[in-house]
Amino acid sequence: MGIREKPTRMDQVQSWRADFPVEYLYTTGVAGERFAKTLRERGMLAATRCQRCGVTYLPPRIYCQRCFADLSESWVEVPLQGVIHTYTVVPVRATGEPSQSLEVIAYIRIDGTEGGILGRVAVSPEAVYIGMAVEGVLAPPAERRGAVTDIRYFKPILS
Amino acid sequence: MDEGVAILGVGVTPLRPISPELSQRELIFEAATKAYIDAGTEPAEIHSFISISEDFHEGTSITDEYTPDQLGAILRPVHTIAGDGLQGLAAACMLIQSGIADLVAVEGHCKTSNILNHEEVFAMALDPIYERPVGVPSHAIAALEMRRYLHETGLPEEAVAGVVVKNRRNALRNPLASYGASLTVEEVQASPLLASPLRVLHTSPYADGAVVLIVASAARARRKGRKPVWIKGIGWATETPWLAERSWGRATYTVVSAQMAYRMAGISRPRKEIHFAEVDDTYAYKELQHLQALELLTPQEATELTRGGDFEGPLPVNASGGSLGMGYCFDATALYRVAEATWQIRGEAGSHQVPGARTGVVCSWRGVPTTTGGVVVLQAD
Repeated sequence: MGIREKPTRMDQVQSWRADFPVEYLYTTGVAGERFAKTLRERGMLAATRCQRCGVTYLPPRIYCQRCFADLSESWVEVPLQGVIHTYTVVPVRATGEPSQSLEVIAYIRIDGTEGGILGRVAVSPEAVYIGMAVEGVLAPPAERRGAVTDIRYFKPILS
Repeated sequence: MDEGVAILGVGVTPLRPISPELSQRELIFEAATKAYIDAGTEPAEIHSFISISEDFHEGTSITDEYTPDQLGAILRPVHTIAGDGLQGLAAACMLIQSGIADLVAVEGHCKTSNILNHEEVFAMALDPIYERPVGVPSHAIAALEMRRYLHETGLPEEAVAGVVVKNRRNALRNPLASYGASLTVEEVQASPLLASPLRVLHTSPYADGAVVLIVASAARARRKGRKPVWIKGIGWATETPWLAERSWGRATYTVVSAQMAYRMAGISRPRKEIHFAEVDDTYAYKELQHLQALELLTPQEATELTRGGDFEGPLPVNASGGSLGMGYCFDATALYRVAEATWQIRGEAGSHQVPGARTGVVCSWRGVPTTTGGVVVLQAD
């Protein structure tokens, strides 16, 4: 069986099942460690600022992607507040399996930065809109692990 | 390009939802055999070989090692581009323009039906510290883009559905396409939501296949009896890997790629000088977004186009059926678009031939979560 004579039934073909079992320990790096420590200890977002370009990076980076300056000594902290830049409502989990309920996932521009964070928003799919002001809800201090998952979700800021 | 670089041969396997009869290496062998015949050459004459592959889509690490034999490239110069198909084509142009090679084979393939966990492959493409732990399905990233795009342009969701209707209808005329269908806007909008506003039918379905292009120097291309299609300009760019930094509503990588390709091709008025386009439509909104970035049609004009005849009007787009109609095959997608554009310019596109197709543009994108794409301008002899 091959190029000259092709199979015409599924029971004539064979496959081999295998997986790709690999694990990693990702180095979080200078910026990642500072971000994690600031979130865990003070419940704030650590960002880096390039004075020359007037840009604040979140997630923080120790370099400016515009002028290539070293930003490893140029930190600011901002609260978990921002505006929904875009959003989607998903009926499935990240694994592709159906979810119990609809989830609102948004990309949130964080105030005082040019960056932002991807997160879930505790709001009904009918009520969410682009431009909605939201704030992050953190895990209680004792339960924080120093990871982005310490931000449990975002919720609308009631004016 | 000063000296000139041409596409001299094209070989493809028809895009199919599954391909249980051949392994991915055998698919490549089939495409390569066709390409060598089409170019009137044989592997011994090829000076250098380029393979497009991405380890996670292969299911093999260091896939480079598995590319030479089915191309006839054993003990010859060969390298892999883990990137977009047009980045591979650009590498071929560099080999030729630098005088290293006169004849180059560029290969792209996709055996997506081998992959049992597409979502897990996607998740591994997100930043492991800031993005992956949030747990977001892949289509949600596209949905976030689509929402922002509709918000910024003011287009209705039906405009996106119109792209699906057009491309799947065009695919009915293309014997290489797997997903030709007669659909209505209403049917598209009634398909299930993957992640609002993105629906199942807004998304191009996967397909298996392989493409080999034979690229030649001007001297080699001008030999008697051949039909060269000239690569007049090529560009590629990456915006940023960070979700936090991207423009969300705009295809900035295409704007930059198009500027580079148009400058090289000497095109100053793309709307007048380009006759047809094969444009990435991995998700239907992407076609509209890319056409705007290519300075070919405004979102409103592009929407209007989908309502009219497929091959009339100012600019036929994806006469092949695009990825929505032909099937999506990751980084090989761009090479299928180049193959289709080559046949259009040769006048060999059969019942989906665009009349007077002398200059065409191909626009590619690497899919979520990337902001990488390319643009190439192709022209008749």
